[in-house]
Amino acid sequence: MRYILTTMLFFLAKTMLAQDSLTNLLDKEVSRQQAGKKQLTYATFKGTQLVNSRTIETLGKHDLDFRVSHRFGDIGGEFGGEKSFFGLENSTDVKISFDYGITNRLTAGISRSKGATSVRQLYEGSLKYKVLRQTDDNSMPVTVTAFSSAVVSSMASNSKPNTPDHFNSFSDRMSFTNQLLIARKFSDNFSLMVMPTFIHTNYVINNDQNNIYAIGIGGRVKLNKRMALIADYYKVFRSTASTNSFKANGLNFYNPLGAGIEFETGGHVFDFTFTNSTAILENQFIPYTTTSWKQWRFRWGFNLSRIFSLKKHK
Amino acid sequence: MKKVKVIVMAMLILSTAGVNAQGKLFTRNGKINFFSKTTAENIDANNNEVFSIIDPQKNEVAFQVLNTGFKFEKALMQEHFNENYIESSKFPKAIFQGTITDPSMVDFNKEGNYNVTVTGSLLMHGVTNKVTIPATIHIADKKVSAESKFTVKLADYNIKIPAVVANQISETVVVSVNCQYEPYNR
Repeated sequence: MRYILTTMLFFLAKTMLAQDSLTNLLDKEVSRQQAGKKQLTYATFKGTQLVNSRTIETLGKHDLDFRVSHRFGDIGGEFGGEKSFFGLENSTDVKISFDYGITNRLTAGISRSKGATSVRQLYEGSLKYKVLRQTDDNSMPVTVTAFSSAVVSSMASNSKPNTPDHFNSFSDRMSFTNQLLIARKFSDNFSLMVMPTFIHTNYVINNDQNNIYAIGIGGRVKLNKRMALIADYYKVFRSTASTNSFKANGLNFYNPLGAGIEFETGGHVFDFTFTNSTAILENQFIPYTTTSWKQWRFRWGFNLSRIFSLKKHK
Repeated sequence: MKKVKVIVMAMLILSTAGVNAQGKLFTRNGKINFFSKTTAENIDANNNEVFSIIDPQKNEVAFQVLNTGFKFEKALMQEHFNENYIESSKFPKAIFQGTITDPSMVDFNKEGNYNVTVTGSLLMHGVTNKVTIPATIHIADKKVSAESKFTVKLADYNIKIPAVVANQISETVVVSVNCQYEPYNR
């Protein structure tokens, strides 16, 4: 009896072994090879910008990103409503930019924008470097990108002293933004980013601050393959003395909050947005947003991106 | 009791001997290329980490490839391929398992070029289809290699092309496979 049982068991085992198909063998070989490999997380965000904030994404090597951003006038309040067709007949800021991928991790950019405060005619040079990259096995849980920009105003200097556009020297025309962008793609459909920010403006009026710190939070929720909800917000740390001094002159600062819908189709990204901030560049919309959602002083806006691959690589 | 042990030993020896005698052929760096041609744009992607195994005893073949391993000429194409079309995070692998339908056409112990037909199931993007593809097996200097070229209709695998990019992506892609095999000893 025992012999028969044992023999049967072995025949059974042998048949099972025989059923170990080639596909099962390959499954084992593939997972054996994958065990030691780190897969980098891709497409945390679609493109290099959310609503107002930059994202951790850098361009592919030799890719050129042409962008046009636009912010219209206040939808409601004193300047909005029917008389300006809900702000569409005004534009508070326009930006045209070119960014280029020097390597897959380093992007350099130049831009021109109108500027939304009394400092206008802005030229910007920027660098973005992907320092750390999230991996699918979570051995690196986040992607970290460093962003720096220098902005210079080309407008004629205001002769009146103690005005934001009264420039005594070339350096008075300059301001700088430094950010650490830290993001995690939690799932295929959800990514979140925090953005510690430091902005330095070389020349400011008496009650203003040369240095402003801020912390931002932004995210993207994919609705389907082509559409996503995007939003970002900055909490700005301005000193009480400065805030009160501006308030005494009737000017309140608000934290910029933007939300929108992103559409993507093979190389084009179109963001249709709403934001209370009037400016597009960080050095203006973070420290100098003076319009509030609560007063209906928010606006339509769009960001348009087209990527050109200048060089093929194998 | 002693008899049982003898039987056990005999069976073990027989079973291991059986595995060795099969002489499977294996590669983990085969090549797959796919090519989409339209008037607006060509898409050309290569994967050099194709896993494949041939069992000459049973005339069975199998292939597996990780979708994230395909390299494109443009970084953006690669991202779109993974995110929007093949959906690598949901469907990480493409899998083929099949049999040589005309085994009499090939002799793995004799040098030569053999044209064969392979029939099996191709799993891609969560959809399995029965396919029949032509292949050539080359045997020279005791080295076995195989190549094949066939077309895949994207709609058969539920891969949808949005109308706005329809002029940039072909409805069918040409897939070329090329593998150099080594004896499998694991």
